[in-house]
Amino acid sequence: MQTIVQTVARTLAEEMRRDDRVVVMGEDVGKRGGVFLATEGLFDQFGPDRVMDTPLSEAAIIGAAVGMAVHGLRPVAEIQFADYIFPGFDQLVSQAAKLRYRSGGIFHAPMVVRMPAGGGVKGGHHHSQNPESHFIHTPGLKVVYPSTPTDIKGLLKTAIRDEDPVIFMEPKRLYRAIKEDVPEDIEFTIPLGQAKVLRQGTDLVLISYGGSMAETSKAAEELAKQQISAELIDLRSLMPWDKETVLKSVARLGRVVLVSESPHTLNFMSEVSATICEEILDSLLAPPIRVTGFDTPYPYAQDREYLPGPNRILRAVQKVLEY
Amino acid sequence: MIADTQNFKPFNPDPIAVLSQSGDWIAPFALTLDDETLKTIYKHMLAARLLDERFIKLQRSGKMSFVAPHSGHEAPQVAAAHAISKGTDWLFPYYRDYAMTLALGQSVLEILAQTTGSRLDTAKARQMPMHPGSKTLNIFTGASAIASHIPPAVGTAISMKIRETGQAVLTSFGDGATSEGDFHAAINYAGAKGAPIVFLCENNRLAISVDFNKQTGSETIAIKAKAYGMPGYLVDGMDVLACYYVLKECVENARAGLGPSLVEAQVMRFGAHSSADDDTVYRSKEELELMRQRDPILRMRRFLEKQGLWSDKAEEKFIKETQLAFQTALDTLAEAEKVPLEWMFDDVYAELLPHLAQQKKEFLG
Ligand SMILES: Cc1ncc(C[n+]2csc(CCOP(=O)(O)OP(=O)(O)O)c2C)c(N)n1
Repeated sequence: MQTIVQTVARTLAEEMRRDDRVVVMGEDVGKRGGVFLATEGLFDQFGPDRVMDTPLSEAAIIGAAVGMAVHGLRPVAEIQFADYIFPGFDQLVSQAAKLRYRSGGIFHAPMVVRMPAGGGVKGGHHHSQNPESHFIHTPGLKVVYPSTPTDIKGLLKTAIRDEDPVIFMEPKRLYRAIKEDVPEDIEFTIPLGQAKVLRQGTDLVLISYGGSMAETSKAAEELAKQQISAELIDLRSLMPWDKETVLKSVARLGRVVLVSESPHTLNFMSEVSATICEEILDSLLAPPIRVTGFDTPYPYAQDREYLPGPNRILRAVQKVLEY
Repeated sequence: MIADTQNFKPFNPDPIAVLSQSGDWIAPFALTLDDETLKTIYKHMLAARLLDERFIKLQRSGKMSFVAPHSGHEAPQVAAAHAISKGTDWLFPYYRDYAMTLALGQSVLEILAQTTGSRLDTAKARQMPMHPGSKTLNIFTGASAIASHIPPAVGTAISMKIRETGQAVLTSFGDGATSEGDFHAAINYAGAKGAPIVFLCENNRLAISVDFNKQTGSETIAIKAKAYGMPGYLVDGMDVLACYYVLKECVENARAGLGPSLVEAQVMRFGAHSSADDDTVYRSKEELELMRQRDPILRMRRFLEKQGLWSDKAEEKFIKETQLAFQTALDTLAEAEKVPLEWMFDDVYAELLPHLAQQKKEFLG
């Protein structure tokens, strides 16, 4: 049984043992083991050349990771909070994302940028954000946002072995909330762009990813008590994302509620909703509804209320069922 | 422009001190502060220490969600507040600067209202603790993103220069912050413009767990000033009067049109980085013990006692008064109503845009 944060550390250790090109870098990732302990124990096992405490500069971290990657290393960079990606954003958008394209494929940067994301931890707007839309809107970056220890393991391995820059978002409010047995196989991987159907249903589809999976699962359980059967899907990967699985379920049931805690406008679920409407409008029995964070900076005092919690999800479900 | 100032030469190899460990005046110039000011400076440091201890208690009892202790940083912080002109000059502090805002005159109620996320917080409980701000005292409300306040600080200083207001800016940050691009971009611009600003680095040689030697190959932060075309001063950050005299001169120079300066105060972080940190993982108890022997409050107290300005009795009385003031503020806060949920939607823009009005209505619905 292990938590998400333990799984991150163990998976990194496995990959570092498997491939000595894999290095870990970031603020406090060394002796401290990361402020969330996601790199705990790595410094003692692999030493300062492979587990590097960097200066306090996200631009240096991301930019240097690009340089290490083109030279043959496989850097896994930690950004201490997703909210702190912005000083490194230029390196991410101008360098990491476009290197392969602008060089006609002669250079590329196989690297992973890990970051804890999401709210519900009383962190205010600089420790709670979900910036995935920025990343997804930047062609050249792959983006994953798993929600369970097993998916963390499988997807982190795939991300490290991938040939492109992968943004690996970790749901920090679930870091220690879930414990499960994780496959021991060091070759256990999960392909990017593959959603997971967690529950088969007959009345409607609930889709979410990342931290919001917790509240969405709760809503599904609540519905089950009311004899309403929800099909529950965890997208896991956002770029690429698993259109086939989503369209198949939604086409079958005709009703869908899309849950994600990042702000409403240009939320990734807007893309999912648009795709559903464009491709399978005929099978819809109700308009897809998004349940999201609000279009405000992440608040402090209303930390929990900002999140799309089970009640707001259930209200949306009622709407699509009664449509 | 690098001008020689009255008392201090920039790029000094050894940190400037005016008080010895035992509290004797060792500066080559005469003390100019009057007795009342000296006592006030001491009281501000002591009150700040008591506030820090109260923060930690409040955090442990669940009344504050987070704290970044400032114990060990009191000297440059209190000195900075005394070096600038209250309500005229502007302050762009960082999260560990409560000794600074307290000494500048931010009330205990206002400080505790912010740190406990109360309805009485002038910033509407928008941020986690450790983000002070004040319109009346010209304290620019902080953001958690390290060094992100330094470019705006420079902008305000440039505006002061363009508008010839005779004001100055003081901005503070840790040593880790100097690694961010924002620090370089800002200080470079200030140097190019000759902006009236003082950059104060509170160098505790740690950024959470990361040692100063991993942060930069530079021997000190102060010498970086040379490349930006301004004087850099290295100061004993456990000597409040040294910090005061150096900062005061830099602020006066800024006001006199002599441009910016960089001051590095060598401080020590007595506590963990924050309530979320465990510093025993990366430093030893012995190390901490040695640091505490250099407590800036003890040094100033020894000085005052030698001048016959302070006593055990005075200490006891002041501690009692300060604790009472904390309790009174906390009692007021305990009676405050809860932060209204609908406040979440205000202040995103000047007006409530239609889509937010709709979200608000549905939410409250
Ligand atoms: C842009 C950014 N990156 C990372 C962090 C996380 N973080 C908070 S405090 C801190 C260390 C700051 O060290 P320093 O500037 O030396 O100040 P000190 O805390 O030592 O006073 C870090 C890395 C942050 N707040 N902002």
